Amino acid sequence: MDFIRNFPCFSIMLCLFAGIISSGVKGRTARWINIVLLTTVTILSACTLFYTLSTGESFVYVMGKFPAPWGNEIRAGVLEAGMALFFCIIMLLSLLGGQHKLIAEVEENKIFLYYVLTNLLLSSLLALVYTNDMFTAYVFVEINTISACGLIMIRQVGRTIEAAVRYMIMSLLGSGLLLLGLCMLYDLTGHLLMSNMKESIAAIVAQGEYTIPLIVAIALMTVGLCIKCALFPFHAWLPDAYGYSTVSSAAMLSSLVSKGYIFLLIKIIYRVVGFDIFNNTRIIDVLFVFGLMGMIFGSLSAIKENDIRRMIAFSSVAQIGYIYMGFGMGTQYGMVASVFHILSHAATKSLLFIAVIGLTDVSGGSRKFIELTGSAYRNKWAGVTFTVGSLSMVGVPLFSGFISKLLFAQAAVQVDGKMLPALIVLGISTILNAIYFMKTVIRIYTPVEETSYPSVTFKDMKLYAIVLVFFIILNIILGISSQPIVDMIEQGLAMFA
Amino acid sequence: MYLILLSIFFPVLAGTCLLIKKEAADRRSLLITTGICFVLTGVLVSATLLTAYGTGFTLFYLTQSLPVCFGVDAMSVIFSAMTMIIFLCAGFFSFEYMKHETKEKRYYGYYLIVFGVLNALCFAGNLITFYLFFEMLTLTSMPLVLHNGSREAIMAGLKYLFYSLCGAYAALFGIYFIHKYSDSLSFTAGGVLTSSAMTEHAGLLLIVAFVMILGFGVKAGMFPMHAWLPAAHPVAPAPASAVLSAVIVKAGILAIVRLVYYIFGVSFLQGSWVQTAWLVLTLTTVFMGSMLAYREKILKKRLAYSTVSQLSYILFGLAVMDAGSVTGGLLHVLAHGFIKSALFLCAGAIIYTTGKTRVDELRGIGKEMPLTMWCYTIVSLGLIGIPPTGGFVSKWYLATGSLHSSIPVFSWLGPVILLVSALLTAGYLLPLTIQGFFPGADYDYEHFKKREPSRLMTIPLVILTVLSVLVGLFPTPVIDYLTQIVSTIL
Repeated sequence: MDFIRNFPCFSIMLCLFAGIISSGVKGRTARWINIVLLTTVTILSACTLFYTLSTGESFVYVMGKFPAPWGNEIRAGVLEAGMALFFCIIMLLSLLGGQHKLIAEVEENKIFLYYVLTNLLLSSLLALVYTNDMFTAYVFVEINTISACGLIMIRQVGRTIEAAVRYMIMSLLGSGLLLLGLCMLYDLTGHLLMSNMKESIAAIVAQGEYTIPLIVAIALMTVGLCIKCALFPFHAWLPDAYGYSTVSSAAMLSSLVSKGYIFLLIKIIYRVVGFDIFNNTRIIDVLFVFGLMGMIFGSLSAIKENDIRRMIAFSSVAQIGYIYMGFGMGTQYGMVASVFHILSHAATKSLLFIAVIGLTDVSGGSRKFIELTGSAYRNKWAGVTFTVGSLSMVGVPLFSGFISKLLFAQAAVQVDGKMLPALIVLGISTILNAIYFMKTVIRIYTPVEETSYPSVTFKDMKLYAIVLVFFIILNIILGISSQPIVDMIEQGLAMFA
Repeated sequence: MYLILLSIFFPVLAGTCLLIKKEAADRRSLLITTGICFVLTGVLVSATLLTAYGTGFTLFYLTQSLPVCFGVDAMSVIFSAMTMIIFLCAGFFSFEYMKHETKEKRYYGYYLIVFGVLNALCFAGNLITFYLFFEMLTLTSMPLVLHNGSREAIMAGLKYLFYSLCGAYAALFGIYFIHKYSDSLSFTAGGVLTSSAMTEHAGLLLIVAFVMILGFGVKAGMFPMHAWLPAAHPVAPAPASAVLSAVIVKAGILAIVRLVYYIFGVSFLQGSWVQTAWLVLTLTTVFMGSMLAYREKILKKRLAYSTVSQLSYILFGLAVMDAGSVTGGLLHVLAHGFIKSALFLCAGAIIYTTGKTRVDELRGIGKEMPLTMWCYTIVSLGLIGIPPTGGFVSKWYLATGSLHSSIPVFSWLGPVILLVSALLTAGYLLPLTIQGFFPGADYDYEHFKKREPSRLMTIPLVILTVLSVLVGLFPTPVIDYLTQIVSTIL
């Protein structure tokens, strides 16, 4: 079974090559290449996951002939493989669910480009997940940024160009800060491989030298990644980017791109800096406070919003806040809760984006609440799915959102100083979530006397409806059988250390 | 084990099937299916209560430390028996009533689901299970409020949802703390908090207790979170209002019983500021609810305000934490359940036959619908607390229990406010009887027509009325049973 060790590297390469090949074919072929690629990578990641689970330890794969500490390495454990698997599934569902919109919204001779970008995006996500050295991470962060920009801009209307430019500027600022931090760390440690960096940093800290440069470097990298995944107050680029791009892009950006950066941050925390050293800096308190503020201000902005897509985009700000609150607790439990919320939020947010598109389609393409009245009757599948997503976001039992809230709360009660603020903000944020999501659910289920908009049935949208069903199943699996997943996350985090 | 599961999931599944199923061509087959489901659920619940008493089991683990478990204890018996009787009566009543409403299939579907969820609440074995179904109850009962789809109904439904979710999350907030400071979350008479936590974190835990009482109190319409109730209950179809007002709000009462007597324990809360604050809130609600009901002109709204007031009678009894008052409170759960559902069914019958909703339009109604109005009058007397009806016994126990307790001021203030509120109750319920039977000299005595509704409506009404009187005439077996429960939890 040892050949499975090749799979992570193989899947990254496969994505890159698929990207190259797709650039020379027509849109339809490119789509098939993409689907085959995603299925293959899903299977490969699943194999890797089972392999790491069965061996119970992570493995390092050396790329090229140079051994550590010079060469380039890939590392796969339970968490990495699981994350890769999850990302592939979400990406496949998002692409299939948004396919009809893509065809409608993007010029026909540009569709193949969309799939080129998607393949590149997947390669960079996989690389961010699997990489064991910081330089590779940085390179793929850039690839990720560029392809994400393309994904926003491919639907060429004024707002998306504006959104892409904003995204580009903020994202490059983020990568710049990451690069600065990386350079400083390289200066301090003389290494780029994560494991070597960690050893050197531990030695430096033990000697008590370079305290301030080290903290500055960590802070720069953290802030850089926070900007890229839209932690409050760096979220200004987000609503436009998620709100106006084509729906598959929005779903992938919110549930995959930002999560890839968060995962990289987790890797940095565990594999580069070291969990304890990171927690001894004051940075986690800052993250905690920003997380809490994000939870409230994101929801408040969402309540004020009158455009359903932008509302969901703002809710992402709040959910990212939850994840950083978990980081900020500085405990293993907090981290487990955060990782679970990465999964739960990715599953729910892509579901919401895809469901909303069904609702807006039967409301003349308008996203204003007034036009959406009664749309759940016109597209029953989307209506039910949106309701499930909303309930999950609000944290109603049986759906994934409840479990993440439960885990966050259980983590919070372990930390004495942060218990009260965390629980109170969790409560407030839940109620705010309930306000805007339930408002929308009621709105789409409010019957209208007469409507000029047509209804759609299963026959008109077989693929879309099936995708929705899969999304619901995914959400409920996360909500009901959370224990094995949490166990897996714990095992994966243990492999990190 | 299977019986408990069946009595929970059979109605839920049956309701779901009913919702999914295609609209039946004729009304008859829908009613037959629904009727069979009602009867089966009734049989299942009775079988559960008779055979599964004292058993319990764990269904699955939500997370390692949080099992979802069910069990039947004495408290479950009281609540689930009441739920079953009222649900069946109101259910058969709706067969006739729903003739003049639309979307019957949806109504019966959610009605059955709510039935199952309520059973789950009665049989829940620990706090987290209870919480799961408490949330579910809000969501599944909301379609009943939203039923007619009017703007008023939607606004009321929204209000109901917000208040309930806020309340539930206040409660969830507390569950996190209890989880930390206790051995387990399972309902144990006398409380589950560890003794070290009770001494070291007493201040924090008292705040938690208060927040949780407020949170669960939302469902029971306790001041200051009562405003949803008078908005949401009247807009539902009358039989749904009956179960909302008589049974679903009792889930809030059950929650508080479980919380105070089975999680925190009396010894922890007795004499604390939480008890005082809680007493103030309940007495405020009792008085305010009656006052608002007195001023309200629309019959169903008036009854909803009366629910606000009467539920706080129960909460007052629970807050006093004296054996007598708790017995009285639990007895009032039954008495109020039967009485309030009967009152709403009367209001439903009146609306169904005459279409009138305001109290002052109903002059001479007693001449037209004598049986309905007799039932109305009898249960009204019960709610006021005139012997030999059910309300009298429960209020007697409430008042004597309160006087017997040694809480300063409240031990006498409580009974005084209960008396004042009883007068107000008479003031808002009896005018309908008086005007109904004695419309005055200028009433056209020649031309009224007999408009008694069909048997499907009157029989459930009579059953509930008779039950409410029986609770008052022969209270001894019930009181013995309740005393037994109270002696274990106090």
